[in-house]
Amino acid sequence: MKFMLNLSTRVKLALAFGVMLAMLLAVAVTAYNGVAKIRESQKRLFEQEFQNALDFAHLLNNENNGRASVLTLLLATNRSDQDYWLKDIHANSRETAEILTNLKDRNQANAALTIELQELETAKEANRETRETQVIPAIKEGNTQRAQELLAGIQQERYVKLRDILERLEKDARKNAFNMVTVSETISRDVVRTFVTFSLVAAVLGIFIVLLLNSSIATPLREVSDVAANIAQGDLSINVAADERRDEVGVLRQNFARMSQSLRATANLAQQISAGDLRVTITPQSEKDVLGNAFAKMVENLRSTTNEITQGVNVLATAASQISTSTAQVAAGAAETATAVTETTTTVEEVKQTAQVSSQKAKFVSESAQRTTQVAQAGKKSVEVSLEGMHRIQSQMQSIAESIVKLSEQSQSIGEIVAVVNDLAEQSNLLAVNAAIEAAKAGEHGKGFGVVAQEIKSLAEQSKQATAQIRGILNDIQKATSTAVMTTEQGSKAVEAGTKLAAEAGDSIRVLADSITEAAQAATQIAASSQQQLVGMDQVAMAMENIKQASHQNVAGIKQTEAAAHNLQELGQRLKRLVDQYKI
Amino acid sequence: MNNPSTTSWEDVRRRMDAVHAALEHDVTITPETKKAILKERALALAKERPKEQLAEAHLEIVEFVLASERYGIESSFIREIYPLRDLTPLPGTPPFVLGIINLRGEIISVIDIKKFFDLPEKGITDLNKVIVLRNAEMEFGVLADAVPGARWIAREAIQPPPATFTGLREEYLYGITVERIAILDAVKLLSDPKLIIQEETAITKGSQ
Repeated sequence: MKFMLNLSTRVKLALAFGVMLAMLLAVAVTAYNGVAKIRESQKRLFEQEFQNALDFAHLLNNENNGRASVLTLLLATNRSDQDYWLKDIHANSRETAEILTNLKDRNQANAALTIELQELETAKEANRETRETQVIPAIKEGNTQRAQELLAGIQQERYVKLRDILERLEKDARKNAFNMVTVSETISRDVVRTFVTFSLVAAVLGIFIVLLLNSSIATPLREVSDVAANIAQGDLSINVAADERRDEVGVLRQNFARMSQSLRATANLAQQISAGDLRVTITPQSEKDVLGNAFAKMVENLRSTTNEITQGVNVLATAASQISTSTAQVAAGAAETATAVTETTTTVEEVKQTAQVSSQKAKFVSESAQRTTQVAQAGKKSVEVSLEGMHRIQSQMQSIAESIVKLSEQSQSIGEIVAVVNDLAEQSNLLAVNAAIEAAKAGEHGKGFGVVAQEIKSLAEQSKQATAQIRGILNDIQKATSTAVMTTEQGSKAVEAGTKLAAEAGDSIRVLADSITEAAQAATQIAASSQQQLVGMDQVAMAMENIKQASHQNVAGIKQTEAAAHNLQELGQRLKRLVDQYKI
Repeated sequence: MNNPSTTSWEDVRRRMDAVHAALEHDVTITPETKKAILKERALALAKERPKEQLAEAHLEIVEFVLASERYGIESSFIREIYPLRDLTPLPGTPPFVLGIINLRGEIISVIDIKKFFDLPEKGITDLNKVIVLRNAEMEFGVLADAVPGARWIAREAIQPPPATFTGLREEYLYGITVERIAILDAVKLLSDPKLIIQEETAITKGSQ
C-alpha cells in the first residue's frame, strides 16, 4: 500500500485508466463475437431457409398460374388471345425452370433436398411434356375435347402430385427457418449473458479504483484546499501536518506548510508594523518574494512618509500660525478698505454733482455759442456789406480824383486863356504906345487920338492886372487841387487799408464763427460726456456699493479663515501626536 | 465824425452853389460897376490933360526898360514899337547885332544896346519889344525888355547926365529926368558911325 502511495499521481491515473480500458476492450470483444454469430445465423436464415420457402411458394404459384393459363387458352376462341396466352404459358414455364435451377444451386449441400428437387423436376418435366406435345397442339387444332380430356385426366393428376410435393417442401422449408430463428435467439441470449457478466466485473473494478484514487489523492487535496480556504479568509492558525509521502500531494502539503509558516511570519511583522514599530527588518524569502519585497519597500516608504509627514506637520504648524497672522493683517486691511470705500462713495457723489454742474454749464455754453454763431453770421454779413461800401467808396474816390484832375486841367486851360488875354493886353498896350507915337507925330490934331491911346493903354494895364490876379487865383486853385488829389489819394489809401482791415475782420469773424461752432460742438460733446460721466458715476457708485458688500463679506470670510487657521493649528498638533506614535 | 462831415458837406454844397450863381451873374459886369470904372478913368484922364496943354515946350518920350533901368527915347524918332517875333540871327555879325526881323515886308536889323552899356543879359522872350528908330538916313530896331508907355516930360525937368557917366553911355545920353529916366539921344544913335561902319563892314565883308 505504501508503494502504491509513493507512485506519482500520473502513474496512478495511468494504471486506473489502463485497467478500465482493458475491461472495456474485453466487453467490446465479447459483444463483437456475439453479434458476429448472430449475424451469421441471421444471414443463413435469410439467404437459405427463407429463400427456399419463398421459392417453393413461388413455384406453387407459377404452377397454379400455368394451369389457369392453359384452361384460359382452352376457352380462348380467337387467334390473338390464344397467342397471348401461349406466350404467357411459355414465360411462366421459363420462370419456373429458372427458380428450380436456383433452388438446386443453393441446396447442393443438402442431399435430401436435392433428391426431392430431382423428383419435382421430373414431375414437372412430365407435365410440360404433355402440355407442349398434346394439350397445346390439340387446342391449336381446335380439338377442345381432347384437350379437356387431357387436362382433366393426366394433367390433373400430375398437377395435384406437383402441388402436394411443393406444399410439402414449402412446409419443410418454413420449419427449417423457424428452427434457425430459435438457434439464433439462443446465441443472442448467450452473448447478452457474457456481456452483462463482463460489465458487472468492470463496474466493480471501476468503483474500487475510484475509491482508491479518492483516498489517495482527493482526500488529502481537500484537506489542503480547506486549509487554503482558511488562509484565503485570513486564518493562518491551522497548520498542515507534514507526512512522508513523496508524490505530488506530499510535496504540496510540505510546500503548503512552508507557505503558511512564511505567511505567519509576515503577518507577525505586519502586526508589529501596525503597532507602529517601523524598526523591523524584513528579509525577503527570495528575489521573487513579492510580498516580502513589497513589505520591505512598504516599511521603507512608511518610514520616509512618516518623516515627511513629521516635517509637513511642522510646516503646517508654521503655516497655520502665519495664516492666522496674515488674517489678522487682512482684517485690519479690510477695515481700512471699508473706510476708503465710504470716502470714495462720498467723493463719487461729489463728482456726480460736479458732472451735473458741468453738464449744465456745457449746455449753457452750447446755447450761448449758438447765439454767438448767429451774431458772427450777422457780423460776417455786415463786414461783407461794409466791404462792398468800401469798394464803392474806392471807385467814388477814383472818380473824385479824376474830377479834380479834370478841374486842374480845366484851370490849366483857363491859364492858357489868361495867357492869351495877357498877350492881348500886351499887344493892346503896344498898340496904345504906337497910337500915342502916331498921335504925337500928328501934332495938335492927334491930341484926341492920344487920349484914346491913353485910354486903351489904361485898359490894357487893367487887363494885365486882372490876368495877374486870375493867375494868382489859378495858382491857388492848382495848389488846392493838388492838396485835394493828395487828400483823395490818402483817402483812397485809407479806404484800401479799411478794405483790407474789413477783409481781415471778415476773416477774423469767420474764424471766430468757425471756432465758436467748434466750441459749440465741443460744448455739446462735453454735455454728452458729462451725461456719460454721470451714468459712469452711477455705475461707480453701484460698484462702490458692491465693493462695500464684498468687503463686508471679506471680513466675514476672514473670520472664517481665522477659525479655519485655528482648526489647522489643532489639526497640526493632532497629526504630530499621531506621527509621534510611530517609532522610526 | 458822421455829423460834422455831413454839415461840412452841406456847407461845401452851399458854397459851390454860391460860386455857381456868382459865375452866372458876374460874367456880365453890372452897369453900376461899369459906370464907376468909366468914371474913375475919366477923372484920371481929366487930371493929366491940363499939364500937357500947359507945357508947350514938352518933350514926348517913349519909356522902355533895359535890365531894370528905365530909359527913354524921343517919340518923334520912333516909327513904331513891335513885339519881338521871328528873330533871325545873322552869322558873321558883331555881338550887339541880334539879327533881323520882318516888319510887314521890311527887313530891319535889331541891335542890343545893353552890350554898349555893359548891362546884364536877361534873355530874350516874346515879351521883349523892338523899338524901331528912323530918320532920313537910318532905320533899325532897338531891343527893349519892356515898354511901359509914352509920356510927356517938361524940357526943364531934364538934367544933363552926371559926371559918373563916361564912355559910350555919356556919348549917347541926352539927359536924365526927375523920375530917373535916362533919355537917349536918338540923333546920335541914328548917326553913329560905329553902327554904320559895322553895318558896312558887315555888308562888305573883307574891307576891314
